[in-house]
Amino acid sequence: MEIFVGYVLLCGTLLSAALLIAGLLWRWRVAELPELHYAIAGTNLFQFLISNLHQIRQATFHPQFLVNLGIAVLLMTPYLRVLTSMIYFAFVERNAKYTVFTGFVFAVLTYSLFLR
Amino acid sequence: MMPYSLLLPTSVIAGFVGAMSGMGGGVVIIPALTFFGLPIKKAIAISIVSVIATSSGSASAYVRDHLTNLKVGMFLEMFTIAGALLGAGITVGANQQALFILFGLILLGSWGTLFLRRHEEWTPAPRQDGFSHWLELQGSYPDKALGKTIDYRAERAYLGAPLMFGAGLVAGLLGIGAGALKVLIHDLVMGLPPKVSTTTSNLIIGVTALAGTSVYLAHGLIDPGLAAPVILGVLLGSFLGTRLLVRLHNQTVRHFFLVVLAVLGLEMLIRGLRGL
Repeated sequence: MEIFVGYVLLCGTLLSAALLIAGLLWRWRVAELPELHYAIAGTNLFQFLISNLHQIRQATFHPQFLVNLGIAVLLMTPYLRVLTSMIYFAFVERNAKYTVFTGFVFAVLTYSLFLR
Repeated sequence: MMPYSLLLPTSVIAGFVGAMSGMGGGVVIIPALTFFGLPIKKAIAISIVSVIATSSGSASAYVRDHLTNLKVGMFLEMFTIAGALLGAGITVGANQQALFILFGLILLGSWGTLFLRRHEEWTPAPRQDGFSHWLELQGSYPDKALGKTIDYRAERAYLGAPLMFGAGLVAGLLGIGAGALKVLIHDLVMGLPPKVSTTTSNLIIGVTALAGTSVYLAHGLIDPGLAAPVILGVLLGSFLGTRLLVRLHNQTVRHFFLVVLAVLGLEMLIRGLRGL
Protein backbone atom coordinates (compact mmCIF):
# COMPACT_ATOMS: atom_id res chain seq x y z
CA MET A 1 0.00 0.00 0.00
CA GLU A 2 2.67 2.32 1.07
CA ILE A 3 4.65 1.91 -2.10
CA PHE A 4 1.62 2.74 -4.21
CA VAL A 5 0.61 5.79 -2.18
CA GLY A 6 4.23 6.92 -2.28
CA TYR A 7 4.25 6.71 -6.07
CA VAL A 8 1.00 8.66 -6.39
CA LEU A 9 2.64 11.43 -4.37
CA LEU A 10 5.88 11.19 -6.30
CA CYS A 11 4.20 11.33 -9.72
CA GLY A 12 2.03 14.24 -8.65
CA THR A 13 4.94 16.30 -7.39
CA LEU A 14 7.20 15.48 -10.35
CA LEU A 15 4.48 16.30 -12.88
CA SER A 16 3.70 19.55 -11.07
CA ALA A 17 7.38 20.48 -10.96
CA ALA A 18 7.85 19.65 -14.66
CA LEU A 19 4.88 21.83 -15.65
CA LEU A 20 6.08 24.72 -13.52
CA ILE A 21 9.63 24.52 -14.84
CA ALA A 22 8.34 24.31 -18.41
CA GLY A 23 6.11 27.32 -17.84
CA LEU A 24 8.89 29.40 -16.33
CA LEU A 25 11.39 28.43 -19.03
CA TRP A 26 8.85 29.34 -21.71
CA ARG A 27 8.38 32.68 -20.06
CA TRP A 28 12.15 33.14 -19.98
CA ARG A 29 12.31 32.58 -23.74
CA VAL A 30 9.55 35.06 -24.40
CA ALA A 31 10.48 37.73 -21.87
CA GLU A 32 13.73 38.79 -20.25
CA LEU A 33 13.21 37.01 -16.98
CA PRO A 34 11.52 33.79 -15.89
CA GLU A 35 9.07 35.83 -13.84
CA LEU A 36 5.33 35.94 -14.13
CA HIS A 37 2.95 38.46 -12.67
CA TYR A 38 -0.71 37.71 -12.95
CA ALA A 39 -3.62 36.77 -10.76
CA ILE A 40 -6.01 33.87 -10.53
CA ALA A 41 -9.58 35.09 -10.19
CA GLY A 42 -11.62 33.80 -7.29
CA THR A 43 -12.59 30.25 -8.06
CA ASN A 44 -12.55 26.76 -6.63
CA LEU A 45 -10.11 24.02 -7.52
CA PHE A 46 -12.34 22.02 -9.84
CA GLN A 47 -13.35 25.10 -11.83
CA PHE A 48 -9.71 26.10 -12.00
CA LEU A 49 -8.76 22.70 -13.35
CA ILE A 50 -11.56 22.62 -15.90
CA SER A 51 -10.92 26.13 -17.20
CA ASN A 52 -7.28 25.19 -17.71
CA LEU A 53 -8.18 22.03 -19.59
CA HIS A 54 -10.55 24.07 -21.78
CA GLN A 55 -7.52 26.02 -22.92
CA ILE A 56 -6.10 22.88 -24.47
CA ARG A 57 -9.19 22.59 -26.63
CA GLN A 58 -9.09 26.22 -27.65
CA ALA A 59 -5.33 25.99 -28.26
CA THR A 60 -4.67 29.37 -26.69
CA PHE A 61 -1.31 28.84 -25.09
CA HIS A 62 0.61 31.06 -22.73
CA PRO A 63 3.26 30.21 -20.18
CA GLN A 64 0.56 30.98 -17.59
CA PHE A 65 -1.31 27.93 -18.79
CA LEU A 66 1.52 25.60 -17.85
CA VAL A 67 2.05 27.32 -14.51
CA ASN A 68 -1.67 27.16 -13.71
CA LEU A 69 -1.72 23.51 -14.62
CA GLY A 70 1.35 22.86 -12.48
CA ILE A 71 -0.33 24.47 -9.48
CA ALA A 72 -3.57 22.61 -10.13
CA VAL A 73 -1.72 19.27 -10.32
CA LEU A 74 0.05 20.05 -7.05
CA LEU A 75 -3.27 20.77 -5.35
CA MET A 76 -4.88 17.63 -6.73
CA THR A 77 -2.07 15.39 -5.47
CA PRO A 78 -3.15 15.11 -1.81
CA TYR A 79 -6.74 14.72 -2.98
CA LEU A 80 -5.87 11.81 -5.21
CA ARG A 81 -3.71 10.37 -2.45
CA VAL A 82 -6.67 10.22 -0.07
CA LEU A 83 -8.83 8.66 -2.79
CA THR A 84 -6.15 6.06 -3.51
CA SER A 85 -5.86 5.20 0.18
CA MET A 86 -9.63 4.81 0.44
CA ILE A 87 -9.79 2.49 -2.54
CA TYR A 88 -6.89 0.48 -1.16
CA PHE A 89 -8.47 0.10 2.31
CA ALA A 90 -11.78 -0.88 0.71
CA PHE A 91 -10.73 -3.35 -1.96
CA VAL A 92 -7.25 -4.58 -1.17
CA GLU A 93 -7.03 -4.63 2.61
CA ARG A 94 -10.80 -4.94 2.96
CA ASN A 95 -10.59 -2.89 6.14
CA ALA A 96 -14.05 -1.49 6.83
CA LYS A 97 -12.96 0.81 9.67
CA TYR A 98 -10.32 2.62 7.69
CA THR A 99 -12.41 2.76 4.55
CA VAL A 100 -14.94 4.70 6.59
CA PHE A 101 -12.30 6.92 8.22
CA THR A 102 -10.61 7.71 4.91
CA GLY A 103 -14.00 8.11 3.24
CA PHE A 104 -14.95 10.70 5.82
CA VAL A 105 -11.80 12.71 5.14
CA PHE A 106 -12.38 12.38 1.39
CA ALA A 107 -15.96 13.61 1.71
CA VAL A 108 -15.04 16.61 3.85
CA LEU A 109 -12.16 17.43 1.53
CA THR A 110 -14.42 17.25 -1.53
CA TYR A 111 -16.91 19.53 0.18
CA SER A 112 -14.17 22.04 0.99
CA LEU A 113 -12.98 22.02 -2.63
CA PHE A 114 -16.42 23.01 -3.89
CA LEU A 115 -16.68 26.01 -1.61
CA ARG A 116 -16.74 29.39 -3.16
CA MET B 1 8.75 42.81 -3.53
CA MET B 2 11.08 39.97 -2.85
CA PRO B 3 13.57 39.43 -5.66
CA TYR B 4 13.33 36.02 -7.28
CA SER B 5 16.98 35.42 -6.59
CA LEU B 6 16.11 35.36 -2.88
CA LEU B 7 12.76 33.66 -3.24
CA LEU B 8 14.15 30.41 -4.55
CA PRO B 9 16.83 29.76 -1.88
CA THR B 10 14.40 30.86 0.85
CA SER B 11 11.91 28.30 -0.42
CA VAL B 12 14.54 25.58 -0.52
CA ILE B 13 15.35 26.28 3.12
CA ALA B 14 11.64 26.29 3.98
CA GLY B 15 11.15 22.91 2.31
CA PHE B 16 14.18 21.47 4.03
CA VAL B 17 13.08 22.71 7.46
CA GLY B 18 9.56 21.48 6.81
CA ALA B 19 10.61 18.01 5.78
CA MET B 20 12.90 17.66 8.79
CA SER B 21 10.47 19.01 11.38
CA GLY B 22 7.09 17.69 10.26
CA MET B 23 5.87 21.20 9.65
CA GLY B 24 5.07 23.01 6.44
CA GLY B 25 7.80 25.58 6.06
CA GLY B 26 5.50 28.51 6.76
CA VAL B 27 7.74 29.32 9.71
CA VAL B 28 10.33 30.44 7.13
CA ILE B 29 8.15 31.58 4.23
CA ILE B 30 5.68 33.88 5.97
CA PRO B 31 8.20 36.12 7.75
CA ALA B 32 10.37 36.20 4.60
CA LEU B 33 7.50 37.27 2.35
CA THR B 34 6.03 39.80 4.78
CA PHE B 35 9.49 41.23 5.42
CA PHE B 36 9.63 42.11 1.74
CA GLY B 37 6.25 43.77 1.85
CA LEU B 38 3.76 41.15 0.72
CA PRO B 39 0.39 41.59 2.46
CA ILE B 40 -0.04 38.99 5.19
CA LYS B 41 -3.09 37.32 3.62
CA LYS B 42 -1.24 36.72 0.36
CA ALA B 43 1.79 35.46 2.29
CA ILE B 44 -0.41 32.98 4.13
CA ALA B 45 -1.95 31.87 0.81
CA ILE B 46 1.50 31.20 -0.67
CA SER B 47 2.52 29.50 2.56
CA ILE B 48 -0.45 27.16 2.45
CA VAL B 49 0.33 26.20 -1.13
CA SER B 50 3.94 25.59 -0.10
CA VAL B 51 2.72 23.34 2.73
CA ILE B 52 1.05 21.13 0.14
CA ALA B 53 4.32 21.03 -1.75
CA THR B 54 6.39 20.18 1.35
CA SER B 55 3.87 17.58 2.41
CA SER B 56 3.59 15.79 -0.92
CA GLY B 57 7.29 16.12 -1.63
CA SER B 58 8.51 14.73 1.67
CA ALA B 59 5.71 12.21 2.13
CA SER B 60 6.45 10.71 -1.28
CA ALA B 61 9.81 9.70 0.14
CA TYR B 62 8.83 8.92 3.73
CA VAL B 63 5.90 6.74 2.74
CA ARG B 64 8.09 4.66 0.47
CA ASP B 65 10.68 4.48 3.26
CA HIS B 66 7.93 2.96 5.44
CA LEU B 67 8.35 5.65 8.09
CA THR B 68 4.88 7.16 7.92
CA ASN B 69 2.04 5.46 9.77
CA LEU B 70 -0.89 5.78 7.40
CA LYS B 71 -3.53 4.57 9.86
CA VAL B 72 -2.52 6.95 12.63
CA GLY B 73 -2.46 9.71 10.05
CA MET B 74 -5.88 8.98 8.55
CA PHE B 75 -7.59 8.41 11.88
CA LEU B 76 -6.37 11.69 13.31
CA GLU B 77 -6.94 13.53 10.04
CA MET B 78 -10.69 13.08 10.44
CA PHE B 79 -10.57 15.31 13.47
CA THR B 80 -8.02 17.76 12.12
CA ILE B 81 -9.89 18.46 8.90
CA ALA B 82 -13.18 18.94 10.72
CA GLY B 83 -11.50 21.38 13.07
CA ALA B 84 -9.77 23.20 10.23
CA LEU B 85 -12.98 23.80 8.29
CA LEU B 86 -14.74 24.96 11.41
CA GLY B 87 -11.81 27.24 12.25
CA ALA B 88 -11.70 28.74 8.77
CA GLY B 89 -15.45 29.26 8.96
CA ILE B 90 -15.49 31.17 12.21
CA THR B 91 -12.36 33.16 11.49
CA VAL B 92 -14.46 36.21 10.70
CA GLY B 93 -15.58 36.74 14.24
CA ALA B 94 -12.37 35.71 15.94
CA ASN B 95 -9.87 38.03 17.55
CA GLN B 96 -6.78 37.10 15.56
CA GLN B 97 -4.27 38.98 17.68
CA ALA B 98 -5.29 37.25 20.88
CA LEU B 99 -5.20 33.92 19.07
CA PHE B 100 -1.66 34.44 17.84
CA ILE B 101 -0.51 35.29 21.35
CA LEU B 102 -2.33 32.30 22.80
CA PHE B 103 -1.00 29.98 20.13
CA GLY B 104 2.51 31.34 20.65
CA LEU B 105 2.23 30.66 24.38
CA ILE B 106 0.92 27.14 23.78
CA LEU B 107 3.81 26.39 21.45
CA LEU B 108 6.39 27.81 23.83
CA GLY B 109 4.81 25.94 26.71
CA SER B 110 4.97 22.72 24.74
CA TRP B 111 8.52 23.54 23.83
CA GLY B 112 9.29 23.81 27.53
CA THR B 113 7.78 20.41 28.24
CA LEU B 114 9.65 18.77 25.42
CA PHE B 115 12.85 20.62 26.31
CA LEU B 116 12.79 19.29 29.85
CA ARG B 117 12.54 15.78 28.47
CA ARG B 118 15.10 16.24 25.73
CA HIS B 119 17.53 13.72 27.18
CA GLU B 120 14.93 10.98 27.45
CA GLU B 121 15.35 8.41 24.71
CA TRP B 122 12.15 7.25 23.08
CA THR B 123 11.05 3.84 24.34
CA PRO B 124 8.11 1.72 23.16
CA ALA B 125 4.95 1.90 25.23
CA PRO B 126 4.68 -1.01 27.70
CA ARG B 127 1.03 -1.58 26.89
CA GLN B 128 -1.61 -0.12 24.65
CA ASP B 129 -5.14 0.93 25.61
CA GLY B 130 -8.05 -0.95 24.07
CA PHE B 131 -9.23 1.86 21.82
CA SER B 132 -5.85 2.37 20.22
CA HIS B 133 -5.51 -1.36 19.78
CA TRP B 134 -8.92 -1.56 18.10
CA LEU B 135 -7.78 1.24 15.79
CA GLU B 136 -4.81 -0.94 14.75
CA LEU B 137 -2.36 1.80 15.65
CA GLN B 138 0.68 -0.37 15.97
CA GLY B 139 3.47 -0.44 13.48
CA SER B 140 7.12 -0.78 12.78
CA TYR B 141 9.66 1.08 10.72
CA PRO B 142 13.19 0.48 9.46
CA ASP B 143 15.58 2.81 11.28
CA LYS B 144 18.63 3.49 9.10
CA ALA B 145 20.51 5.17 11.93
CA LEU B 146 20.16 2.14 14.18
CA GLY B 147 20.25 -0.41 11.40
CA LYS B 148 17.21 -2.34 12.59
CA THR B 149 13.44 -2.36 12.55
CA ILE B 150 11.70 -0.66 15.47
CA ASP B 151 8.29 -1.78 16.68
CA TYR B 152 5.96 0.68 18.34
CA ARG B 153 2.38 1.04 19.50
CA ALA B 154 0.52 4.33 19.51
CA GLU B 155 -1.54 4.91 22.63
CA ARG B 156 -4.14 7.33 24.00
CA ALA B 157 -5.94 7.79 20.71
CA TYR B 158 -8.95 8.84 22.83
CA LEU B 159 -6.92 11.90 23.83
CA GLY B 160 -5.09 12.42 20.56
CA ALA B 161 -8.32 12.70 18.57
CA PRO B 162 -9.95 15.66 20.37
CA LEU B 163 -6.57 17.38 20.62
CA MET B 164 -6.17 17.01 16.87
CA PHE B 165 -9.55 18.64 16.43
CA GLY B 166 -8.21 21.55 18.46
CA ALA B 167 -5.05 21.64 16.37
CA GLY B 168 -7.12 21.76 13.21
CA LEU B 169 -9.26 24.52 14.67
CA VAL B 170 -6.21 26.63 15.43
CA ALA B 171 -4.75 25.98 11.98
CA GLY B 172 -8.03 26.96 10.35
CA LEU B 173 -8.28 30.12 12.39
CA LEU B 174 -4.70 31.28 11.92
CA GLY B 175 -3.85 29.81 8.53
CA ILE B 176 -0.73 28.18 9.93
CA GLY B 177 0.63 25.81 12.47
CA ALA B 178 -1.11 22.49 12.23
CA GLY B 179 2.18 20.69 11.70
CA ALA B 180 3.80 21.77 14.95
CA LEU B 181 0.81 20.74 17.03
CA LYS B 182 0.50 17.46 15.17
CA VAL B 183 4.08 16.47 15.87
CA LEU B 184 3.62 17.42 19.53
CA ILE B 185 0.47 15.32 19.84
CA HIS B 186 2.03 12.36 18.04
CA ASP B 187 5.09 12.56 20.29
CA LEU B 188 3.93 13.66 23.75
CA VAL B 189 0.40 12.24 23.79
CA MET B 190 0.48 9.18 21.58
CA GLY B 191 4.01 7.98 22.16
CA LEU B 192 5.16 7.63 18.58
CA PRO B 193 8.89 7.56 17.88
CA PRO B 194 10.09 11.01 16.73
CA LYS B 195 10.80 9.87 13.17
CA VAL B 196 7.28 8.48 12.82
CA SER B 197 5.75 11.56 14.49
CA THR B 198 7.47 13.89 12.07
CA THR B 199 6.88 11.92 8.89
CA THR B 200 3.23 11.15 9.67
CA SER B 201 2.63 14.82 10.36
CA ASN B 202 4.23 15.64 7.00
CA LEU B 203 1.77 13.42 5.19
CA ILE B 204 -1.27 14.83 6.91
CA ILE B 205 -0.57 18.56 6.80
CA GLY B 206 -0.98 18.43 3.02
CA VAL B 207 -4.59 17.32 3.34
CA THR B 208 -5.37 19.93 5.99
CA ALA B 209 -3.66 22.61 3.91
CA LEU B 210 -5.66 21.63 0.84
CA ALA B 211 -8.88 22.18 2.74
CA GLY B 212 -7.58 25.61 3.69
CA THR B 213 -6.38 26.47 0.17
CA SER B 214 -9.92 26.53 -1.13
CA VAL B 215 -10.70 29.65 0.87
CA TYR B 216 -7.68 31.47 -0.51
CA LEU B 217 -8.32 30.27 -4.06
CA ALA B 218 -11.90 31.45 -3.79
CA HIS B 219 -10.77 34.91 -2.78
CA GLY B 220 -8.20 35.11 -5.58
CA LEU B 221 -5.38 35.48 -3.06
CA ILE B 222 -3.00 33.00 -4.65
CA ASP B 223 -0.37 34.69 -6.80
CA PRO B 224 0.82 32.08 -9.31
CA GLY B 225 3.87 34.10 -10.31
CA LEU B 226 5.07 33.84 -6.72
CA ALA B 227 3.72 30.37 -6.09
CA ALA B 228 5.63 28.77 -8.97
CA PRO B 229 9.20 29.44 -7.78
CA VAL B 230 8.19 28.86 -4.15
CA ILE B 231 6.72 25.44 -4.99
CA LEU B 232 9.81 24.45 -6.95
CA GLY B 233 12.17 25.58 -4.20
CA VAL B 234 10.14 23.87 -1.50
CA LEU B 235 9.98 20.59 -3.43
CA LEU B 236 13.74 20.58 -3.83
CA GLY B 237 14.31 21.49 -0.20
CA SER B 238 11.94 18.87 1.13
CA PHE B 239 13.51 16.20 -1.02
CA LEU B 240 16.92 17.06 0.43
CA GLY B 241 15.45 17.08 3.92
CA THR B 242 14.04 13.59 3.56
CA ARG B 243 17.43 12.23 2.53
CA LEU B 244 18.91 13.60 5.74
CA LEU B 245 16.19 12.68 8.24
CA VAL B 246 16.22 8.96 7.44
CA ARG B 247 19.86 8.84 8.42
CA LEU B 248 19.46 10.60 11.76
CA HIS B 249 18.77 9.22 15.21
CA ASN B 250 15.35 9.81 16.75
CA GLN B 251 16.89 12.13 19.34
CA THR B 252 18.44 14.37 16.67
CA VAL B 253 15.11 14.62 14.87
CA ARG B 254 13.46 15.63 18.12
CA HIS B 255 16.12 18.25 18.86
CA PHE B 256 15.74 19.77 15.42
CA PHE B 257 12.00 19.95 15.97
CA LEU B 258 12.61 21.67 19.31
CA VAL B 259 14.57 24.45 17.64
CA VAL B 260 11.99 25.05 14.91
CA LEU B 261 9.20 24.90 17.51
CA ALA B 262 10.84 27.63 19.57
CA VAL B 263 11.25 29.84 16.49
CA LEU B 264 7.62 29.31 15.50
CA GLY B 265 6.38 30.03 19.00
CA LEU B 266 8.30 33.30 19.15
CA GLU B 267 7.11 34.27 15.67
CA MET B 268 3.49 33.73 16.68
CA LEU B 269 3.93 35.73 19.85
CA ILE B 270 5.53 38.61 18.00
CA ARG B 271 2.82 38.61 15.37
CA GLY B 272 0.15 38.75 18.01
CA LEU B 273 1.84 41.56 19.90
CA ARG B 274 2.61 43.58 16.77
CA GLY B 275 -0.89 43.19 15.48
CA LEU B 276 -0.30 41.46 12.16
